[in-house]
Amino acid sequence: MATEAAAATQAATPVEEGHKRPYVYVFIVLAVVTVIEVFVSGVQGLAELDKIMLLVGLATAKASLVVAYYMHLRYEPRWLMLIPFGGLALVFILVAALIASAGHVPVPP
Amino acid sequence: MAEAGVRGHEEAKAHHGSPWPFVIAIGAALGYTGLLVNVPLMILGVLVFLTGLVGWLSEDIRTLPKPFYGVGAALESKFPRVSARKLGVWLFLATEIMFFSAIIGASWTLRFRTSDPSSVTFLGPWGAPGEILNVPGTAVNTFILICSSLTMVEALAAVERGDQKRLRMFLLATMLLGIAFLSFQAYEFYHLYFEEGLTFLTAPDGVNRLYGPTFFIQTGTHGAHVTAGVLAVAYTTAKAFKGGFTKENHETVELVGLYWHFVDVVWIFLFTIVYLI
Repeated sequence: MATEAAAATQAATPVEEGHKRPYVYVFIVLAVVTVIEVFVSGVQGLAELDKIMLLVGLATAKASLVVAYYMHLRYEPRWLMLIPFGGLALVFILVAALIASAGHVPVPP
Repeated sequence: MAEAGVRGHEEAKAHHGSPWPFVIAIGAALGYTGLLVNVPLMILGVLVFLTGLVGWLSEDIRTLPKPFYGVGAALESKFPRVSARKLGVWLFLATEIMFFSAIIGASWTLRFRTSDPSSVTFLGPWGAPGEILNVPGTAVNTFILICSSLTMVEALAAVERGDQKRLRMFLLATMLLGIAFLSFQAYEFYHLYFEEGLTFLTAPDGVNRLYGPTFFIQTGTHGAHVTAGVLAVAYTTAKAFKGGFTKENHETVELVGLYWHFVDVVWIFLFTIVYLI
């Protein structure tokens, strides 16, 4: 009986390990970074640009964790990254266009 | 073995056609046409679209968990290790990245052009973090959405192990957390609109009047996506309770999860950009 149980455990172990992914650790990091973000947002005396860069950097780190682990991009073939990063490349073109057009400001009524 | 092969072959020849995708397509075409020319036509389009969607999902739930061989060749992926359906969802998400970036980019451009006192386009300062919006409450709501991402990915892990009980439990938890997120957002919109005076046209005294519309467009568009996600998770949950997913056949859970996590990613940026900066 015990041997059967041990055999079953041995058989199950590789499958269990194959699926063991750090979902809970990622969740804890996401929650902690969210608290840090709220704290940073309320800090006085930090230059506006520094604060923006820090907060956007933290948000990017959080988003990267979700995409890598929860959306499994880390476990997918590398070429699949071309799709979201392709979308992001077009976003950079949009941002560049917005910045470039900043000089052409219509006068409001 | 041979019997199974014959059965599979018979199923391959069986009729798998459904009229509902055509109904959905007609509804979408009427809806978008109506959006441009006629509101009643748009409402008709939405109703036809929803009828098609409900019809298709009902049909899918009734016929589970039969394997689908109907158009195997068309669904077969030409790319290594990524199914055609998953590739389709990732392509859809790439378009969503561009969609949300356009909305956020336009809002930032309006903010920087109209909140600089030295600019001729100055319309007033933007609301400071916590001045109008409820940062602690929204931080809790952000935490709720992060929790829902964890439960969604745990649902997938459960079905990959063949654990039906946990699959159902985690999917149900995801749906409830999504509803909780939306409920807080609905309360927040009501409070801001009717009690704080932040509307599409007005803002509290001294605040830039573009603060309201950019806030509602960014968070409202995201809320609409969460609503669609909750409906998708609700359907997946109903199918799971009927035994529609197995250890070998559960790609729908993964694909719905991809969309759900993407909505979480968008909120991570919106929380920072709209509430904290």
